[in-house]
Amino acid sequence: MNIKDMARTCQWETLLEGADANAITSAYTSDLLSDVMANAHDADLLITIQAHNNTVAVASLAGIKAIVVCNDRTVPDDTLASAQKEQIAVYRTQTNQFETSCAVGKLLQS
Amino acid sequence: MTFANLIPTLDATVFVSSSEMETRPVQHVIASDLMSDVLVAHLDDFVLVTSLASDQMIRTADLVGATGVILVNDKRPPASLIQLAKDLSIPLLGTALTKFAACLAIGKALEDKGDPA
Amino acid sequence: MNRLPDLSPEKSPLTLVEVIYSTTIREVMSTDPITVERNTPMSTVQHLMRDHGVSGLPIAEEGRLFGIVSVQDLIEALQQGKLNVPVSTCMTERVVTLEEDMPLSMAISTFSKYRFGRFPVLNAAQRLTGIISVRDINVTLVNRLLQQVSKFESMLDNEVTPGLELNRVFHTRQHDFENGGKASTTIKKHLVDHHVDRSLVKRIAIASYELEMNQVVHSIGGTISYRITPDAVEILVQDRGPGIENVDLALTEGFTTANEWIKSLGFGAGLGLPNAKRVSDEFFIHSEPNVGTTVKVVIHLDKKQKENAT
Repeated sequence: MNIKDMARTCQWETLLEGADANAITSAYTSDLLSDVMANAHDADLLITIQAHNNTVAVASLAGIKAIVVCNDRTVPDDTLASAQKEQIAVYRTQTNQFETSCAVGKLLQS
Repeated sequence: MTFANLIPTLDATVFVSSSEMETRPVQHVIASDLMSDVLVAHLDDFVLVTSLASDQMIRTADLVGATGVILVNDKRPPASLIQLAKDLSIPLLGTALTKFAACLAIGKALEDKGDPA
Repeated sequence: MNRLPDLSPEKSPLTLVEVIYSTTIREVMSTDPITVERNTPMSTVQHLMRDHGVSGLPIAEEGRLFGIVSVQDLIEALQQGKLNVPVSTCMTERVVTLEEDMPLSMAISTFSKYRFGRFPVLNAAQRLTGIISVRDINVTLVNRLLQQVSKFESMLDNEVTPGLELNRVFHTRQHDFENGGKASTTIKKHLVDHHVDRSLVKRIAIASYELEMNQVVHSIGGTISYRITPDAVEILVQDRGPGIENVDLALTEGFTTANEWIKSLGFGAGLGLPNAKRVSDEFFIHSEPNVGTTVKVVIHLDKKQKENAT
């Protein structure tokens, strides 16, 4: 599924728009950067509450195309600047990691 | 749905069981690795799904009154953590699923039992 | 020679007064004392004193006390070459005695009045049942006072009273993640055991844990004190530094000074202080750089709660 369509369907707030070509086929839910680094290499989307400069760096290394920040956490400007440089889309949602995961999972399965 | 119902759902290993896990309801899920995040959640009757296998994670679960804890990514809890969970009567399961997949499975089970996620 | 202090109830610490007035001479004295009869020769007295290491022997027959013979009496007999005479000719006949039901205080004042090393102890029927020495008193006093001191020390640290009310102090050490959280876990269990409402327990547990982990993560160590009354739970955390540069900033959600490895443990998201404040009814913070931080929170146990709690 296209990331833009997913974000629209899930009613995520767009902080940094992703490219149309960014298809999401899998997701990984984690708040531990070391865990993302070690285990998220097959995922296109990261579901997390870590809105941190290092999150972007780790996501980039793991080949993640988009990050959705849960619980309406604040995303610092420098994090967005890094994401732009790494061409990673950033969204924000009021729902928590569980609810977001369930919503994404349903879209991927349908 | 009870915590014990999640064992087949997640094809889980039972590290620590408790008598309450057959009866206490599960209505919500908190899927987090940041204990500070767990501490701000305003939910009751929830299970904690995490990849953090530390003593602090079990203490946090106890302090916020979690029904039980599910360790994802096939993490093996250290003996000290199992002992602490026993001491605090917190049931502890382990699953090979990722946190994302575990959330989907639990979400579906909650829906099937008539408790929308 | 050192003088005994005034041990009157008005002038002594209450603990000491309690010990010396509530302990009877029976509990302190040595029972089954070695005795000799009136016709026992002084040579036998000499052997008994030497073999048993005693400096005084009562002269008694079938429990009836006739006198007491001391080392001093023996020395005089030796000097006069009277080792074969019966002890009755050398003994002191007019003996000062104590009774076993008297309080220890009586023995102490008798020892300060007369300068004897020991006194025979009689029962109500005026039969000899024991002998009391300064050593017996010293041993008892030291033991009883040690017990009292230990009791006081444990009360200072853990004043455990039956029921819900509790005063307790815990210590934390910097980066001691292994023990961090134990104070909160202990207090939570206490509240649950005393049937405090679950939502209140959760608020107290969260405030306590956030503050406890803050101390473990950020400070060089300190204390967490709990005061639980039927009305409220008061948590006072005090650390020894380094203090917070900007308290307002520290109370802003998301602000953190935690490093990456602390974050890898799941802490340091910058939510601790704001969250502790959120769940508390009263919140007070004072911090001074290089001195330390004090936080006091109060969570009220409401009226309904008081009825439930036991």
